[in-house]
Amino acid sequence: MTVELLTKPSRVPQWLRILWANKKSRVGVVLLSVFVLTAVFAPVLAPYDPESTDFAAALPASGDHWLGTTQQGQDVFSQLIHGARTSLLVGLVAGVFSTIIALLIGMTAGYLRGWVDEFLSGLTNLALVIPVLPLMITLAAYAPVRGVWLIIFVISVTGWAYGAKIKRAQIITLRTRDYVTAAKLAGDGPMRIVFREIMPNMTSLVVVGFMGAATAAIGAEAGLEFLGLGDPTTISWGTMLYWADNGGALLTGQWPWLIAPGLALTMLVTAMTLINFGVDALSNPALREE
Amino acid sequence: MSLLEVADLSVAYATKNSPPTHAVRNVSFSMAEGECVGLLGESGCGKSTLGTALLRLLDRPARITGGTIRFDGTDITALDENALRPLRWRALSTVFQSSMNSLNPVLTVEAQFRDMFRTHTDMTSGEIRRRTAELLEMVLIDPSYMRFHPHELSGGMKQRVALALALALRPKLVVLDEPTTGLDVVVQKSIMDSVRTLQREQGFAVLLISHDLGTVMEIADRVMVMYAGSVVESRPAGEMLHPYSRGLLGSYADPRAETVDVTYIPGRPPDLSRFQDGCLFVDRCPVALPKCATEKPPLAPVGDGLVACHVAPSTKADFADSTFVRSVRAVAEAPPVLEVTGVHKTYTRRRTSVTAVDDVSFALRRGRVTALVGQSGSGKSTIAKLLTGIERPDTGTVMFGDVPVHRLRGRAMRRYRKDVQLVFQDPFAALNPVRTVRQTLVRPLRNHLGLSEKDARARLESLVDTVGLAPAFLDRYPHQLSGGQRQRVVVARALAPEPSILIADEPISMLDVSIRAEIVELLDRLVHHRDLAMLYITHDLLSARLLADEVLVLNKGTVVEDGPTIEVIRNAQAPYTKLLLDALPNPPR
Repeated sequence: MTVELLTKPSRVPQWLRILWANKKSRVGVVLLSVFVLTAVFAPVLAPYDPESTDFAAALPASGDHWLGTTQQGQDVFSQLIHGARTSLLVGLVAGVFSTIIALLIGMTAGYLRGWVDEFLSGLTNLALVIPVLPLMITLAAYAPVRGVWLIIFVISVTGWAYGAKIKRAQIITLRTRDYVTAAKLAGDGPMRIVFREIMPNMTSLVVVGFMGAATAAIGAEAGLEFLGLGDPTTISWGTMLYWADNGGALLTGQWPWLIAPGLALTMLVTAMTLINFGVDALSNPALREE
Repeated sequence: MSLLEVADLSVAYATKNSPPTHAVRNVSFSMAEGECVGLLGESGCGKSTLGTALLRLLDRPARITGGTIRFDGTDITALDENALRPLRWRALSTVFQSSMNSLNPVLTVEAQFRDMFRTHTDMTSGEIRRRTAELLEMVLIDPSYMRFHPHELSGGMKQRVALALALALRPKLVVLDEPTTGLDVVVQKSIMDSVRTLQREQGFAVLLISHDLGTVMEIADRVMVMYAGSVVESRPAGEMLHPYSRGLLGSYADPRAETVDVTYIPGRPPDLSRFQDGCLFVDRCPVALPKCATEKPPLAPVGDGLVACHVAPSTKADFADSTFVRSVRAVAEAPPVLEVTGVHKTYTRRRTSVTAVDDVSFALRRGRVTALVGQSGSGKSTIAKLLTGIERPDTGTVMFGDVPVHRLRGRAMRRYRKDVQLVFQDPFAALNPVRTVRQTLVRPLRNHLGLSEKDARARLESLVDTVGLAPAFLDRYPHQLSGGQRQRVVVARALAPEPSILIADEPISMLDVSIRAEIVELLDRLVHHRDLAMLYITHDLLSARLLADEVLVLNKGTVVEDGPTIEVIRNAQAPYTKLLLDALPNPPR
């Protein structure tokens, strides 16, 4: 009876091994780790205080200021490093919130069916057809407060619908499985069945949903701030782009100021997308690279 | 010259992350033209892999790691796709287990035949139509069905169409991989009869892959038995010599006999990622000698066939220690615990209504097993749903003592479910893959018996012990268990709330024949030791005979015959019961 104990359990968890086995997601994991480390150690890594305006304005790239300075005399490279914090924070928190909303609505609708499903699906469809960008802009523009948490709120309440739809579809196929009927006969209540019996069986779907939501949130955050709907005094890649645009970086030839935050955003979103290739393999063994 | 010659063929499934599984190991055999060879073995023994390899349809991560396949004089082991294409379907065709799902749902039956003829021949439209009609008639389908789409045909008809398609170009070899699994017994029987008749008339060779020993023994000229990737025996259907083959054969018996005994093979097949010295069957063999563990027996001629065993030439193995014996026994009268009286249930969908259950009455008594026997669609499962309260009858009553089950809801229903528990058909679907045995079993104890987490956990060891599992199994996940072990866990979960009624819905039909008797024995012991009332739902009269004291034969929602099991089976009156009895395979022993 020792058959299944033959493969020695490795200390690296299986999900990480699968992600690592996929070349695309390996690149993504490395890239994302670089961003995370940058964000965590930003104060150490950044050569100057990103908010300090002590330098001459609009300096070109040089040995002292690798990416030059802004119109206000801030160091662009230091801002870039600190900006990673905002993007990752928004990605993580807004990703988690919209995943939670999607789970609650999608799972409840799919499991209970009937009029609850009719109502929640109607709500989901409504949220899907409303053009998200104008809604986000309206919410952000009319809100009495400004700042990163407002942006997170706006992104979360506008970005859950797609995930809810997918989770509802999945739970509809899982809710008639024998083990669900067995749990009912064992006396378990609906909440427990949905979140303890069924949800662990759709982990990869939830993870994919989270990664997608986080990626979208990072993009949306930068977009809103670029449009000037965030708090322009926070340091983030979005506000950097906003100020670069306002400060006429294009006209003054300060290319690094404009390109660096855009490139960083692209790299971060690419990293997340690459990791998603590996996450697919988590749920579908046939996609694992041999 | 033989039609198919396989020499030293090995197939392995190799992935980067796990050691390769050697599913087929140095298999050599040949088939003559027009021969019908049965390939038998438990699930996971490599029989389907071998069949797929012969068709050169293996897909990553499986690949042929050694040996040759010669078909009709050509070495096809390494032939590329372009060279294989003219061979496939014309000379070498197949019907898979799920072939009925391989029909294109958006094309009519006629169009599927037309596509195939257009690709492989230059017949005119008229000729194609005539030939299609001829082929459908050959598999006993009225040619007018040609204009239908697959969803308008029954499962058995679709499988017949798949068979007709496979035979359309008069191939020399047809590989049938579990062609009737999942179909009703009566339909199975008629499809296998057609295969046999056509094979005799047209003279094509058949490789019939199946775990259903009875059917194979009945129709095959020669039987090959595979175990753990190797052929262990090959001989004309009849008495088998290898202990493994004998163990498989022992799982069949004639239900009409005074005393019925069936055997099972204890243990489970070895891990195919390792090579071990000696005979691979040694751990499960009742007659193993010391040298069996160290010296691999070659496939050598004994009697009129070949067998790979050190013991077989001299000793005939029997599985006396793992036999379930059932003779005729008297049953004491007991007051009924559950009484079903005159229940009707009609399902209405899109203005057409189907009567699933029509005026059925019976009672369940303590210490007794009542079997409901019938084909799919006979209303068996609906009755199970009425009893567990998942569905309500339109008219009629289901009384549990003085509790009207047909009117229960909410909390009262939950209290009732403590007393009525279900053993599911498919042990692979009935256990949550992400929860350990312990996590699964603790729930009913906490919910129904109101035990604290600590008390519930303390009870688990004795609970798994009653179903014959060691406490070490508590920390396993379902995928680490064999089919039989999973079904034991399912039974343990049903027993946990100490119910008075157990409903077993085809509890052994998804298990390998080699271990069915083991579960039957377990259920039988539980019913008598715990004084349970059991409703045993099955399509199989043999297992009904083994387990049940009385039988209700159900056809299209009505009871056509009922009475003590032995009476019903020996003196079947209703034509439908006789039909079911005839469908039982009757292998030579």
